[in-house]
Formats: sequence, C-alpha cells, structure tokens
Amino acid sequence: MEMLARLENTTLSIWLRESGIAFFTSLTLHSIAMAFVIGVNFAIAFRLVRIVPEFELKPFLKFYNLYWLSVVVIFLSGCALLLAYPAKALTNPIFYIKFSLLTIGLIISRWLQNQMQIIKNNEFSRDKYFWVAMISVFIWIGTITTGRFLAYTNSVLLASRFF
Amino acid sequence: MIDYLSAFSSSTGIYTIMNTPWGWPIVESMHFLGLSLLIGTVGIFDLRLLGIGQGIAYSDLHKLVKIGVIGYAINVTTGVMFLTTAPDQYIYNPAFQTKILFMFIAGLNMVWFYQTTSAQVKKTAALDNVTNRAKMIGGISLLCWIIVIVCGRLITYFRPPYHWCWFC
Repeated sequence: MEMLARLENTTLSIWLRESGIAFFTSLTLHSIAMAFVIGVNFAIAFRLVRIVPEFELKPFLKFYNLYWLSVVVIFLSGCALLLAYPAKALTNPIFYIKFSLLTIGLIISRWLQNQMQIIKNNEFSRDKYFWVAMISVFIWIGTITTGRFLAYTNSVLLASRFF
Repeated sequence: MIDYLSAFSSSTGIYTIMNTPWGWPIVESMHFLGLSLLIGTVGIFDLRLLGIGQGIAYSDLHKLVKIGVIGYAINVTTGVMFLTTAPDQYIYNPAFQTKILFMFIAGLNMVWFYQTTSAQVKKTAALDNVTNRAKMIGGISLLCWIIVIVCGRLITYFRPPYHWCWFC
C-alpha cells in the first residue's frame, strides 16, 4: 500500500488524475479501441459459428494491423488509467480477472489469426471452430463486464489516504 | 418530460431493476456489448468504404451489418433504461444531447447510403475503390459513431445545472 501511495504521488500520476483532459482522453481511447477489438472478435466468431452468412476469412487479415494497433492503444491507455488510480485497480480482484480474460482473449484471437493465414476458407468447419468461437465470445463479454464492474467494486480509491 | 420518463420507468419495472445493487453496471456492460457489436460490424464496413482492407468483398462485409443492427437495438434498449431511470442526469446534459444529435445524423447518413449508394457498393469488385460519395458516407458514419462514444464517456463528467437546457 505504501508503494501504491508513493506511485500515486508521482507527477505523472497526479497529472493523469487531476488534469481532466488526460484522464478523459485515456478513458475514451480505451473505450474506442476496446470496442473495435471486441467487435472484430465478435464478427469473426459469428462467422465461424455461422450466425452470419459465410464469407471469405482470409482477406479479413488486412484488418489485423489496425486490430493490433488498437491493442497497443488499449495497453497504453490502460496503463495511464492504472497509473492515475493504482490502488483503485490493484487492490480490486476484479482487475486481475479482467486482465486475465483480456490476455486469454488476445491469445485466442492471435491463434485464430494464424489459422486464417494457413487454412483455406472452406476448411473452417463449424464443428472444429464452434467451441473456440463461443469461448472467445464469452471471454470478451467477461472482459466488458469486469471492466464495467471495476468502476463499482473498488474498496480503495487512493492509497495516500492511509498515510 | 422528466415526469413522463420517470413514470414510464416506474410502471415498466425499469426503475426497480436499475436500482438493484448490480442493475446499473450490468446494463452498462450490455450497453458496451451493443456498442462493440456496432463498431465491429458497421465500423469495419465504414473503414472498408474508406479504402482500408482492400481485397475484402464489400458484399461480404455487408453481411455483418445485421449483427450491427442487433447491437444498435441493445444500445437503444439499455440507453432508454438509463434515461428513464435518471432522466434529470441526461435530459439537461449537453453531452447526452450531442450524443443523440450524432446518433440522428448517423441514422440519416444510413438512410442516404441505402437510398443512393448501397446497391452500387455491393456490386463493386473487391479490389476496386467505391465512389467518393460512398467514401464520404463511410467517413461520416465512422465520425458520428466515434463522437457518440466520446459523448457517452462525457455524460458522466457533466452534472449541469437543471436550467442549462433552454428547450427542455
């Protein structure tokens, strides 16, 4: 807790917390990038389980540059939000659940990206990829839910108040 | 207007649901889920119109728009739940008003697309560019949805005085 208090007293942390624009920009970029990343995953998952009519998956790879750029934005804006209120996130178990789900979701999406590179479109059988797609959908729903619940479940806002 | 919205919330049970301990964050999660469905489908289609992802058939990406419509329906439903539960926090809020304005512009832009450009875009070959009008429609749509997200985040920042809005 003392370390967290020291962290939130750094100039950068104070600036992120108290300058309205820095925190708001981080929060908004986090939302936009998250919506894009989750949206792409939903689109691919729905194609794999045939909720949407079949379409060629390989050309979809061209969106992955933007996809991974969005992941970088999620990471950087997430770091900024974490640095603004380190104790709020790091003392909340929901944060670790969100982080784990996000990591698993990204590993699955990277695996699916590799599959798209090596497998022909007609070999994407529904049976083979059904569970991967469904797990991916549930993991992303879990990421959204834990992300929202983070704002409501913190027991500590600032560690400095203990010192 | 506030009274009417509050009465609607109470009579439909929305107020009760939203005031349970986890009602608000669960509905917020659903709102973001709807947004992700919208951005992952309509947003990608808009980017394709703007020239990103050359080689992807326009007609293929258009198949995803149905999912975007489901996302939009989720957003409207959950949005109504927020609005009617705490109408005074939204009706007078400039961020909310701007959000609604840009949702309306996005809707008009969509009507413009389907009336003038949709058939032509679906026939365009995957390696060809669409017309400038289609690009403009894609750009307007993407910009509108980004502004909608920004305003959505701004809503929680504004707690304006109730007399802010001259027409409410």
